Amino acid sequence: MEDSKILDLFFERSEQAIRELDSTYGAAVKKTAGNLLRDPQDVEECVNDAYLGVWNSIPPQRPESLVGYVCRIVRNLAVSRLRSETAAKRNSSLDLVLEELEDCIPAKTDVEGELEARELARAIDRFLAALSYPDRYLFIRRYWFADPVSEIAARTGFRENRISVRLFRLREKLWKHLQKEGLLA
Amino acid sequence: MNREKLFSALGDIDPRYVAEALRYAPGEAAAPSERSKHMKSKRILSLALAAALILALGFTAYGLYLGFEYRRPAAEETFSIHWDDSPDGTITWSDAKLAVTLPELEESREIEFRTGWLPGDMLSLQSEDWKQYFTAERLSDNGNSAGVPAYRGTMQPLQIQTYCSTQFNQGGALLLLYQTPGDIREEHWDEKNLDVLLFHSSQHCDAVPEYNIPARDYEFDNILLLNQEEGWVVKLVGQIGEEQLRKVAENLEFRPTGNTLRYEDFDSHFVFFDAGVG
Repeated sequence: MEDSKILDLFFERSEQAIRELDSTYGAAVKKTAGNLLRDPQDVEECVNDAYLGVWNSIPPQRPESLVGYVCRIVRNLAVSRLRSETAAKRNSSLDLVLEELEDCIPAKTDVEGELEARELARAIDRFLAALSYPDRYLFIRRYWFADPVSEIAARTGFRENRISVRLFRLREKLWKHLQKEGLLA
Repeated sequence: MNREKLFSALGDIDPRYVAEALRYAPGEAAAPSERSKHMKSKRILSLALAAALILALGFTAYGLYLGFEYRRPAAEETFSIHWDDSPDGTITWSDAKLAVTLPELEESREIEFRTGWLPGDMLSLQSEDWKQYFTAERLSDNGNSAGVPAYRGTMQPLQIQTYCSTQFNQGGALLLLYQTPGDIREEHWDEKNLDVLLFHSSQHCDAVPEYNIPARDYEFDNILLLNQEEGWVVKLVGQIGEEQLRKVAENLEFRPTGNTLRYEDFDSHFVFFDAGVG
């Protein structure tokens, strides 16, 4: 079903909206949570919480991209859930992604304390806008969805080594971008 | 931790980018670049129509590499191309055989090169000079004392030229006008950090009876080298065979001239790269 029709169902407060949302984007939503959370039960709870979040926020909101909207909610829920876990339960796939991102913010450099995450997000939006589509795809799949490199390689048809090299260049580029925007002290 | 702050900030990016990445569809990128938003509406429309036509008709070889994007333009798509010999410095051209576009950058580092290896019968052209353009055309000229028998009948034994990728921002492109490309292959040369396109191309020239010139078919090999971070491209095209052309490319040395060039530094944003044209 088209986004506009699903949104109409939400605005009509029809529970069919959730079913259509799940039917159309359920796989992407579960994948987003599943990349971050190990436990299938955690994934399911997170997805359900995300659907509830969508139900509670539409209306009044009417997102331009419904799938982007619901995936963002589920990702933020999954990250919050991970943060509440003990160190012993830390998620290895997320740890790997975080280690890679550390290239962008070296240990000796400090993100300005008062910097709002939202400001950083807008800077990343500008960084993404300047990338070619393939580069943007790689970056989002790895650092937003936390996809394994092997999976990205399978999706794009490029070799894993090529993907890794490209991601390294993109992290360098992001670091330069954040420096240029004055976001790194 | 900082890295976690960055990861969290990523969670708040524009949802359109997330939607765009649900499946890998390089021909259907939804989110325009910041700079693309400033393109004139007419150009946006014509490019969109052309892309839609290409995809709809399915007759194109739309390809993609991590740095390069390339496609076969629709026959009716027209380009305003830099051409020194025309009165206003440009010509309008349709039926281009290949359009290669590049990632957008704010600034390009202008570079120059020198050859580290040339085929044995080209050694007369070897020099230590740094340059931005190299041609071995005179080796094919039988009326010239520099003519070499091995290159008799060729149009262009070897040509090398540098470009700045910023010249092709905002929808500009490197174009093949006459030569029809074969399969395009893609590589990344890690040690030099270069994205590489390699392909064979061919060109048919009709006979010119009044000058007693028979019909001819020419075969070329082409290599494009792109350094995405520094924003420069080097074209190699020639009739010395792919193996030798590749060896020339692998042995090129590069150095920056010290100049940085932006989109607005160029009058024309479409350039042809056929060997021997013009």
